[in-house]
Amino acid sequence: MTNINKKTYAMNVITPMKPWKTWLLRAIFFALGHIKSLQAYLINLSFIHFARWVIIRRDAFPYLGGSQEREQIKYDYLLFFSNFNGTWDQYIDAFSAVLANGLNKIWRWSEKYPGALPVTPFKQYIGRVQFETDHYYSAYPHATTNDVKGAHRVQAALDAFANESAGMGPDEFARAYVRFLVKVQIDLGTTGAAPVGT
Amino acid sequence: MPNQSGSVYGLTILSPILDDPHAKVSHDLQIRMYLGGLKDERSPFAKVSSTHMARLAVLNDVVYVGMPACEEHLRSQYLVFESNFDGSLDEYLEKMAVEIPEDVDAVWGHCVGYPGTKSIGAFQAYMKKCQITTTFYFADVNDKTVNQTLRALQTQEAVGVFIENNQGKPAEELRQAFAAFLEALRAAPGPIPGSGLNSLGRLAAGMEGITRHE
Repeated sequence: MTNINKKTYAMNVITPMKPWKTWLLRAIFFALGHIKSLQAYLINLSFIHFARWVIIRRDAFPYLGGSQEREQIKYDYLLFFSNFNGTWDQYIDAFSAVLANGLNKIWRWSEKYPGALPVTPFKQYIGRVQFETDHYYSAYPHATTNDVKGAHRVQAALDAFANESAGMGPDEFARAYVRFLVKVQIDLGTTGAAPVGT
Repeated sequence: MPNQSGSVYGLTILSPILDDPHAKVSHDLQIRMYLGGLKDERSPFAKVSSTHMARLAVLNDVVYVGMPACEEHLRSQYLVFESNFDGSLDEYLEKMAVEIPEDVDAVWGHCVGYPGTKSIGAFQAYMKKCQITTTFYFADVNDKTVNQTLRALQTQEAVGVFIENNQGKPAEELRQAFAAFLEALRAAPGPIPGSGLNSLGRLAAGMEGITRHE
């Protein structure tokens, strides 16, 4: 299935919006982009590598001329792309449970959006407006978001320990090594294939 | 800038697909057939080494969500390209044109007005014409390059193996082993993007002395 590459899932969603509503949504995104505390939930969920929302005005679909006809549509469209770890169900469940208010602020401007709670109609809606990925690439497909963050912490700790321990005598080194182990132990582990069924 | 989060750029491109009623196989299907033949492990994007994650999808039409919404349809189908990469857009597009011209031509060759990759300037201009500005972009880790992340994942695994192999060693022996470990880690070949990092066999190939003891 091309929506999935090892531990990462590529979701594409497109929803129609009445044009006057897109200005309200742009204001919300502006606030979300400039007030970092509003992004805390996304960061704390910690299973999204990258995500984006893109508003396309009804007159802004790329037009290249030639044989292409200009679009003549009434709605603006909201595109959502996400690169996350886990299954589709886990993702939507987590979104619904943790981010219901935030998601409602974003998608309530889309036609027929039922709200993030209860989860069943929310899943039905997302399933309806999702379109499939035809090719999906990840440079580190075996690694989850937490693996990546943990790996950078281990790298930083190792670099620091390597610098600090250069020139130490054996006993001093052994004590510093234990401190290094205590620091990195929570972030150790190996990446690998996802469990069967995910 | 909405297209960027830290040092990571979020590119969104919608390229209108050719509509030829006389084509034996429709252009959208030809794109899908080509993309279907690419394996994730040998994705051409692995050669564009600044790519964290990228996808290609054919958008056949917009979705009718039911009454009281209006039903409407697009006049073109679009090839959607979503990419998350390090560096500037111009550099990235140039890398695509130089590193994977056959794949880019094979896919975008089915799109309206596509100029090919021979003229890098024309290719960049075409892609920018099809670009849609991202409204809100989120990158969980937005201050590390692809190479830094791959190296860090390699280090994470190697450190775990080193610790396991050197439990209970006397101080001087541990110190010498650590020095050798650092040297081996620094000399190890960089991980290959897109290939996965979990194989200790890969580590063994480039990092003598830090393979897991059985």
